[in-house]
Amino acid sequence: MIMEDFKYIGKSVPRIDAADKASGKIKYMSDLNFPGMLFGKILRAKYPHALIKKIDTSQAKALPGVVAVVTWEDVPGLNGFGIVTPDQPVLCKDKVRYIGDAVAAIAAETKELAEKALTLIDVEYEPLPVVDDPIKAIQSDSPKVHDDGNIHLHTKVVRGDVRKAFEEADLVIEHIYCTGEQEHAFLEIETGIARIEEDDILTIYAGSQYPQRDQMQLSRCLALNPCKIRVVSYPVGGAFGGKDELTIQPILGLLVLKTKRPVKMVMTREESVISYWKRHPMIMKYKTGVKKDGTLVANKVIIYADTGAYASLGGPVVNLAIEHACGPYKLSNVDIEGYCIYTNNGVSGAFRGFGVPETAFAIETQMDIIAEKLGINPIELRKKNALQKGDIAPVGNKLTTSVGTVAVLDGISKTKLWKEREKYLVKNTKKPWIKRGFGFALTYQGTGLGVGLPDYGGAILRFCENGGFEVGVGLVDYGQGIGTSYAQIAAEMMKCPIDKIKVVLGDTALTADSGPTSASRGLYLGGKATIIAAEKMMTVLKEKTSEMLKVSVDNLDAENGYICMKNQPEKKISYEEIAAQFMKETDHLPETEGYFLMPLADMKVENAFGLPHHIFAFSAHLALVEVNTLTGQTKVLKGAEVIDAGDVINRQGLEAQSEGGFVMGMGYGLFENMIIEKGIFKTTNFSTYIIPSAEDIPSDIETVTVTDPEETGPYRAKGVAETVMCATAPAITNAIYNAVGLRIFKLPATSELVYTLLEKKEEKCNESTN
Amino acid sequence: MVQTMDISFALNGKEYKLSVPANAVLLDIIRDKMHLTGTKEGCGRGECGACTILFNGRSVNACLILAPQADGAEIVTVEGADVERKLLSIQKAFVEEGAIQCGFCTPGMIMSSLYLLNKNPNPSISEIREGISGNLCRCTGYVKIIKAVERASKDIGK
Repeated sequence: MIMEDFKYIGKSVPRIDAADKASGKIKYMSDLNFPGMLFGKILRAKYPHALIKKIDTSQAKALPGVVAVVTWEDVPGLNGFGIVTPDQPVLCKDKVRYIGDAVAAIAAETKELAEKALTLIDVEYEPLPVVDDPIKAIQSDSPKVHDDGNIHLHTKVVRGDVRKAFEEADLVIEHIYCTGEQEHAFLEIETGIARIEEDDILTIYAGSQYPQRDQMQLSRCLALNPCKIRVVSYPVGGAFGGKDELTIQPILGLLVLKTKRPVKMVMTREESVISYWKRHPMIMKYKTGVKKDGTLVANKVIIYADTGAYASLGGPVVNLAIEHACGPYKLSNVDIEGYCIYTNNGVSGAFRGFGVPETAFAIETQMDIIAEKLGINPIELRKKNALQKGDIAPVGNKLTTSVGTVAVLDGISKTKLWKEREKYLVKNTKKPWIKRGFGFALTYQGTGLGVGLPDYGGAILRFCENGGFEVGVGLVDYGQGIGTSYAQIAAEMMKCPIDKIKVVLGDTALTADSGPTSASRGLYLGGKATIIAAEKMMTVLKEKTSEMLKVSVDNLDAENGYICMKNQPEKKISYEEIAAQFMKETDHLPETEGYFLMPLADMKVENAFGLPHHIFAFSAHLALVEVNTLTGQTKVLKGAEVIDAGDVINRQGLEAQSEGGFVMGMGYGLFENMIIEKGIFKTTNFSTYIIPSAEDIPSDIETVTVTDPEETGPYRAKGVAETVMCATAPAITNAIYNAVGLRIFKLPATSELVYTLLEKKEEKCNESTN
Repeated sequence: MVQTMDISFALNGKEYKLSVPANAVLLDIIRDKMHLTGTKEGCGRGECGACTILFNGRSVNACLILAPQADGAEIVTVEGADVERKLLSIQKAFVEEGAIQCGFCTPGMIMSSLYLLNKNPNPSISEIREGISGNLCRCTGYVKIIKAVERASKDIGK
């Protein structure tokens, strides 16, 4: 397949929704208002861990303008939600487990009245000891967050003989790594509006990553037939995993059912921060054994992940961290263990990378240390151990799909940053306290949900009267650009101009269930399903044309919006005419559906749900940094990513992912950390929780692609939305080491941390010279 | 009971008179009363820039302005291309450079770019960075946004 043959695939097609976003015309869910709507507000817990003794809502109910006050007693169905384990109450009954727990909710005529009514709800609590340290939480004497104890999940994967391998190793490196709690910080806060629409359908307009699953979870909570619930979620102002689980939807639905009126609910940034999902903070103990020649022989890892008060996707996050804990390297002796631990520290859930940025920081620092200790070039060390097609991955699965490890490592030398790094690394003689350093790190990320989970893509293709097509995929475009990719694929497949393609996403009434928009799976699965639906549609169009022209289907071809005779291209019928024919004959236009099942690995990892994955995207991240040794501040001057995305569907979209991923990874590496003390959030807004601004970014972020085509993928592509952020932090911390000789074992590498470590290093240095 | 105040202002070139609660925030008036939802709320406390508008020619966070302060003001939002023709060039540049992903920061980002290009038609890269540094974006990493502003400045100069 030669990319040049395509009209849209592989081209930098601008986003199909960009113009409406630039003009401010497009309506986000938070921009919708309905006549007669009420305003909803949620009463959050007063303590991070407490028993509820009494809830008195009588005063709030008596306030004029308050239309409904709901508590756990009003939840008609299951008072619990959660993607894997529905252990989070919609409204708490007898216990609160974190400071964002919902206790009651109000619907009132105005926002102000709803806020005032919140203050009139009287909740009597009996505070309990706060469980805030995940390591202490798993001791038998710890207070329990849930009755069953604080270990939500414990997974252990063992292969080979680790003990023997360590004995045979020439070098063993042991360190403990800690990573911070990252906030998604999407710009559009969890906000939504809901009402009862035609045919008594409860319609929820709220940012989500999987409307069909929301529909299922809502049906359980609200005791409502799922066909009486519609969820609409497009466009969404950012998600990154943070809108995968339910947020405000069950309470919104409950208030609408109770009041029979539209209800709008707008979170504040502070409420969003304390109430909803974060990246799991992890403590990771690593012990890695290696031979003198650089061959990795053993890896023993224990991961402690703080999942906060409720399960959500904590278990799968830990399992994915386990799968990727060894990096994309050959290792046949591994002992990897993970604990997913309940505490009262907010709630952790899905976040871009899903356990991989955490372990990538650890393994890529280990690799950098090993390279230095053994005097081996760090790229060569990685190449020597690199997983390749046909190899057995650390958790035991054979890699039979595209594996870009070596291609990515070779690609490093193609970046401008690599070529010119010596020039950039010259000493700053005017400001000798400023030190520069270069570092890189390698990572990979599984696509899809893994073994044992239903993993499929679905697409509906509707033929339109104008001779165009409407693609309906249940996945959500919250910025990553899948909608545009589907339009490219549909236009390419249907041989028509891209402006004849309309894409509908994230709407349970209009789209096919395509699984969650997560796990770098959107382009791959939605793309494949669109191809299948389009193949069927092409057959439908050709068959109709064959009737109209009275020729065999085999003699027909499609070109630029026409079905034409193969040998007589001037004999043709436009799609518009075909549509008119359908309307004339049946008063109806055809639609086709495409479904595609994710290919899976040929084995499963015992006792590790979801493992292994089958298709992986690879990337190397490069960073040039400057460390100010007087302040400890690190600035990233230049960055680059080398990415194996298979064949690229949209170059501009891929670069956008790479640049955005790099900067998000940089924030994770240098300054982002949610500070929670005794269950109370200390950094609830953008002046205390700092995300990168335009002044923090490097002067250049290069994107180099190396193509290792994925034969099973749509136009041989694979998804990269996560891998692009997974190894930026260790690239930066390895560069800090290169600059000032400091190993960073804790993220983020804030100015304070680097400054303190530099001081200690100096003290040590003085001690040894004295 | 909060007192109401009668105010008048020009919004995207049209004059409006309305009665607003004395403690109303201009952002809410623009979004809820004037139904111009292009201006977004991302934090409500002047930290993210999603609600950036032009207020008497200066870029401000609409979430930090009380509605009564807008009495007599000239206001331009992202929908105001009729009065600020440069907006069209900036919007086009954002689309073509791929500077938009989720798009939620985009209107504010475009308004900060407009303010920058109004006072400095040929900004350097570092001036562009400074000019949009009050607008947070979580998707793009800013690279393509900076390129879009650069491109818009060239297009407008033509």
